[in-house]
Amino acid sequence: MSQLEAGLRKAAGVVLAALVLVALWALAAAALSKPFLPGPALALAAFWRLASNGTLGLHAGASASRVLWALAVSFVPAATLGLAAGRSPRLDAVVSPLVYILHPLPKAAFLPIILLVFGLGEASKIFLVGLIVFSQILVSARDSARRVPRQLIDSVRSLGASRLELAVLVVVPASLPDLLTSLRVSLGTAVAVLFLAETFATVTGLGYLIVDSWSRVAYAEMYAAIIALSLLGLGLFAAVDAAERLLCPWHSYRT
Amino acid sequence: MVELRKLAVDYPRGSGRSADRVRVPAVAGADAVFNSGGISAIVGPSGCGKTSLVHAVAGLLVPSSGEALIDDRKVAGVRAKTAVIFQDYGLLPWRTVEGNAELPLALAGLGRAERRSRVGPLLEELGLAAFRDFYPAKLSGGMKQRVAIARALAAEPDLLLMDEPFSSLDALTREAAQEFLLEVRRSRPLTILVVTHSIEEAAYLAETVFVMSGRNPGTIRERFDVPENAAAARFAPGSRRDDFRATPRYLKLCAAIRSSLRGAGPTEDGATS
Repeated sequence: MSQLEAGLRKAAGVVLAALVLVALWALAAAALSKPFLPGPALALAAFWRLASNGTLGLHAGASASRVLWALAVSFVPAATLGLAAGRSPRLDAVVSPLVYILHPLPKAAFLPIILLVFGLGEASKIFLVGLIVFSQILVSARDSARRVPRQLIDSVRSLGASRLELAVLVVVPASLPDLLTSLRVSLGTAVAVLFLAETFATVTGLGYLIVDSWSRVAYAEMYAAIIALSLLGLGLFAAVDAAERLLCPWHSYRT
Repeated sequence: MVELRKLAVDYPRGSGRSADRVRVPAVAGADAVFNSGGISAIVGPSGCGKTSLVHAVAGLLVPSSGEALIDDRKVAGVRAKTAVIFQDYGLLPWRTVEGNAELPLALAGLGRAERRSRVGPLLEELGLAAFRDFYPAKLSGGMKQRVAIARALAAEPDLLLMDEPFSSLDALTREAAQEFLLEVRRSRPLTILVVTHSIEEAAYLAETVFVMSGRNPGTIRERFDVPENAAAARFAPGSRRDDFRATPRYLKLCAAIRSSLRGAGPTEDGATS
C-alpha cells in the first residue's frame, strides 16, 4: 500500500469516527431534550458564529501558544537529560530517583503553588503543562536510550566514533520513534491540564471560553469551545504524526 | 601480523548500574599469530569467549592482562585501519545503504562529494549500486552482509575482523557469502580474522584455524595449518583451484578440528565424548 493511500485511509477513518460520534450526540440530545445538551446542529452553528467573529481564533491561538511554548521549553531538555541518563549509569543514579519522586505526582494539584511562585500570568500555565510533558518525555527517553542495541553502539564505536558522535548518530535516531510516541501520549495530558490551567486567572484560552460560556448558560457556545479544544488536540496529534513521517522515514509503521 | 600474547579478558558480572566488583573471566591466556594477508579462523562453541577476543583485537575493550599486537604495536583503543563486521551486521536502520557504507568516511570528516566518489565504486563492486537508497530493513540477510562489507572496506582497512559473519544466513547464501569474501580478499591486500562456530567454514576459509574451548574463561587450545588455503597459493593473480571441499584432505581436516573441539572438555550441552 502506498503512503498516500495509507494516509487517505487513515483520514477516512477519522472522518467516519467523527460522523458516528456526531450521530450518537444527535440521538442523545433528541432523547434527553435538556438545555445542557443542545444538538450538534446548534453547537456547530455557535462554532461557526464564534469562528467567523474571531472569538474562537483568539482563544484557540492563546491555548495553542501555551501548549507549544510548554513543549518547546520542556521537550528538548527532557529528551537530552533522559537520553544521557539512559546511557550513563552515573547520571542515571541521580536522575532515576528524582524521576521516581516526580513522575507519579499529581502535578495538576500543584497549580496553586505554581500560581504563587510564577504569578498569575502566562508563565505559570506554561510551567504546569511543561512540567507534565517533561517527566513523561524524560522517562521514555531514558528507557529508550537503555534499549539501544549494544551491537549498534559497538559497531559505530569500532569506526572510531566519539561519545558525542555516538549520541548523535546512534542514540538519538534510535530513540526518536519512542520520543515521538511519548510526545503523542503526553499531548493528550497536556491539553487536559491546559483546560484546568485556563480556568484560573485568565480571560483567554479555550479553557476560559468553556468555563465562561458555562457560567453564562450559553451551552451551544460551550460545546463550540469544547469542539475547538478537541480539534486543537487532534491537530497537535496530526502534527506529531507528520513529524514522525518526516524524521523517521526508515521506521515502518502501519496504521 | 596480528599477535595475541597471554591475552585475558574479563567483564563485570551483572549489567550496567549495579555492576558489583566481581568480574567474570571470558578469555584467559590466549596465544596466537594471524599471518598478514591471510585468512585466519577461530572456531569454538558459543560462550567460549570468541567475541570478547575479537573485541580485544578491535580495541573495543581493554584486556585484563596480556596484550594484542597489530604489526608489533600494542592495541590501545580503536584503530582506523581495523574494520569489524558484527554478527548482526551493526547497520544503522535509519541510514540508507549508501549512508551506512559511507559512515566511516563521514566520521573521518570527509565531505559529501568525496564520500560519494569513494563509496560509489565500492557499491558497484559489491552489487549494491541499485539499492543505494534502500533502508536496511528492506534488504535480505545476504544483502545486509554485503552492506556491512562495503562499510568495512570504505575505510580502506588492512585488517578485517568478522564475528560470526555468516551465521544468520541460510546454507546457500552462506556459501555464496564465503565465495564473496574470498573474492573481496583477492582484489585487495587484507588480513582477515573470521570467528565462527562452524568447523566447515573455518576449514574452507582459513589458512590457520585456531580451536577455542572452555568457558569462563575460554582459551585457544590448538592450531591447524591449512597450506591449501595459504594466501600465496590462493590469491595470486591467475590462481585457480578445484573446490577444496570436495577433497578427502578437507574432510580429514574437519574431522580433526571436530575431535579437537570434542576432546577439549564439556561442550555447550554438557556432553563429553
